[in-house]
Amino acid sequence: MYQAVLTRRYLTSKIMPLLAMAAVTLSVGTVLVTWSVMGGFLETLLNSGRGLIGDVKVSWPNTGFPYYEELIEDLEADPMVTAAAPVIETFGLISLADDRVLGVTIRGIEGESFARVTTYDESIWWRPIDEPLPRDDARSDPRLGNQGYFASTDWAEIERNGLTLSERDGRGAAVPGIHVSDWNIRTPAGTYQPAPPLRVTPEGEEELLNIWLPDDALTMHVMPIDSSGRGVRVVTRTIPVANEFKTDIFEIDSRTVLARLDVLQEMLNMQAEGAQTIEEGSGGFEIDEDGELVRVPATVVATAPARVTDVIVRGEIGPGETETVALKERVRAIYEAFAARHRGEVPPAGAVRVLSWRDLNRTQIAAVQNETGLVLFIFGLVCFTTVFLVLAIFWSMISEKTRDIGVLRALGASTAGVTWLWLRYGALLGAVGGLLGLAVAWMIVSNINAIHDWMGVNLGLKIWDPSVYYFVEIPEDLDATKAIVVVVAGVSTCLLGAAIPALRAGLLDPVRALRFE
Amino acid sequence: MSNAGYILRARAIEKTYTMGRTRLDVLRGVDLEVSEGEWVAVLGASGSGKSTLLHLLGGLDRPGGGAIEFRGSPLGTMGRAELDRYRAASVGFVFQFYHLLPELRVLQNVTLGAMVRHGRIGFRGETRRAAEARARELLEAFGLGNRLGHRPKELSGGERQRVAIARALVNDPPVLLADEPTGNLDRRTGESIVDAIEARRRAGGLTIVMVTHDERIAARADRVVRLVDGLVEPEGDPAGIVSVPAGSE
Repeated sequence: MYQAVLTRRYLTSKIMPLLAMAAVTLSVGTVLVTWSVMGGFLETLLNSGRGLIGDVKVSWPNTGFPYYEELIEDLEADPMVTAAAPVIETFGLISLADDRVLGVTIRGIEGESFARVTTYDESIWWRPIDEPLPRDDARSDPRLGNQGYFASTDWAEIERNGLTLSERDGRGAAVPGIHVSDWNIRTPAGTYQPAPPLRVTPEGEEELLNIWLPDDALTMHVMPIDSSGRGVRVVTRTIPVANEFKTDIFEIDSRTVLARLDVLQEMLNMQAEGAQTIEEGSGGFEIDEDGELVRVPATVVATAPARVTDVIVRGEIGPGETETVALKERVRAIYEAFAARHRGEVPPAGAVRVLSWRDLNRTQIAAVQNETGLVLFIFGLVCFTTVFLVLAIFWSMISEKTRDIGVLRALGASTAGVTWLWLRYGALLGAVGGLLGLAVAWMIVSNINAIHDWMGVNLGLKIWDPSVYYFVEIPEDLDATKAIVVVVAGVSTCLLGAAIPALRAGLLDPVRALRFE
Repeated sequence: MSNAGYILRARAIEKTYTMGRTRLDVLRGVDLEVSEGEWVAVLGASGSGKSTLLHLLGGLDRPGGGAIEFRGSPLGTMGRAELDRYRAASVGFVFQFYHLLPELRVLQNVTLGAMVRHGRIGFRGETRRAAEARARELLEAFGLGNRLGHRPKELSGGERQRVAIARALVNDPPVLLADEPTGNLDRRTGESIVDAIEARRRAGGLTIVMVTHDERIAARADRVVRLVDGLVEPEGDPAGIVSVPAGSE
């Protein structure tokens, strides 16, 4: 009982322990902010990786493989598979209206099937919205339809065009990532303001182009390859832009252009070819020069089915590694059966790559995991100094309180009772400091993008460079489990620091303590 | 020898302190018997071992030799926990410099002894109410009824010592061990403190062992023992024991 009364009194009447508490607050806050940001970074990477390519990808990144519709049917018939979609992935160049030429990854997709496997429909940026984003107090988002040029925009049509990668007239269209063009400026509120691009005229003057990318077009340059893997020629086509997408991974948003599958198939010579005469012939018999009756081959007519480089698969599974591996093996087995039916027509099962989203992002995931671990280790080590700070402060306090300890012993307090008094005090400091640290961390993490933007504007500091950290925004989620772990660690730190002084207090000779001056 | 009538009995008590290579024999075979309800004053020069004797009687320290008994139970055979209970329930300490805890208010300082005695589980409900009522009663009796919410630094020396006495008596111990309770006070205040202690003794049959330098205060005790060079001076010695029959002051 006396421990409770005294710890309460010590907590509010002493300055030095408040310093220890402040150290715990700072340590807990720092570790929690770091862990939340880095952990959120990893989580975004994992979610985005899975969201963009599905769970498993069957890939033959050469000339592609035919009969993919049949493979997709086989896959979707399996209970482990939710959906599958064809994709062509190639590299190419794009030219924009401002005369810039960019090297990008071009993915040919069917909007509908791609959206069933990925989170494509959620990533379409230009769409009608009723409410502004949480930080957009000024309601500056053009998608709200309350701004001059955009007030008359048919946002629903823009969204539909994006999802189908088609213009109203049915022409195939492209959907580049939101950062491909540099024609959108991200605001601190997380919205994008279209910024008309500048073009340098042949006379060397700057010309402001009053255009918005989804109303404009881009020119794609791709190189089909023949069956031996050699480039045939560069194929160039200008196609309208239907919308833009945003995945939150800067690397993808700045270097990927989606195009309608049939458009890319045509450009890469991967489209279905109708019947073609390979060899003319009557198919009957004739007399040759030597007077022999010989058979004349019949006319050979061949068809070439359409091809894709990848089939992506979404499974009825969670994000766990074991489930992903199981799905991967199942997809491989399905492909083996498919390849056996089309021996000689599709790549053999041993040659195609069947990869999970984890395989495809393994390097990045491992890098982020290692980086997170390293940063946490370093911060943890720095925060461990709190133990020594608490130890020094408690040692000093106990020296100051030696006579009080003697009085308590004279009143009948036991060694354990006095030790518990100081341990309890340490735990209380840790708990209060930890909870304050949690509050500080929550405030920082919840507003980290706003804080970062403010620092950029007012102090010229730009710590988070999306081109370095992949992500456009700093993750803002504070995980409850992490919060509990770090606060408990903060309390433990205080307990650890208080343990030796507390034991010393408990073991003080009461007579010496009473005579202490 | 019979224990009848003795609440405290010390036989051939020895205590030696070692500081580096120096050995200091503070007590060299002290015998002391204190009867139930008796007030014994212990006189002696500085360093004669008076406080050490008090600490040993109160179970704060263990003697190097000899034995101390409380109502026939030897303190030497008590374990730590038992000794803690002995200090909490059977003796009350009063110190020269009050030793009040500055963070606590007057009432909390007094009930501190009850909190220690009853522990976290025990100090609640009726026990807590009774302890607080006892603390209030003691403080009222000592003229501090209007200072319950004050901190020690807001009190005078005499008031602080009265709070310290109330703290020592809150558990209603049979023995009060007072180590120069008036040593830091002016004469008038000192006498008022002794009056307060004596009043409690009259009210409840308290046994008092009081270390003092003050012959006048010692003269008010039932019996005075003098410690000289770590020994109790034998009765009849010219400079030795002053024996004053109870009630003759």
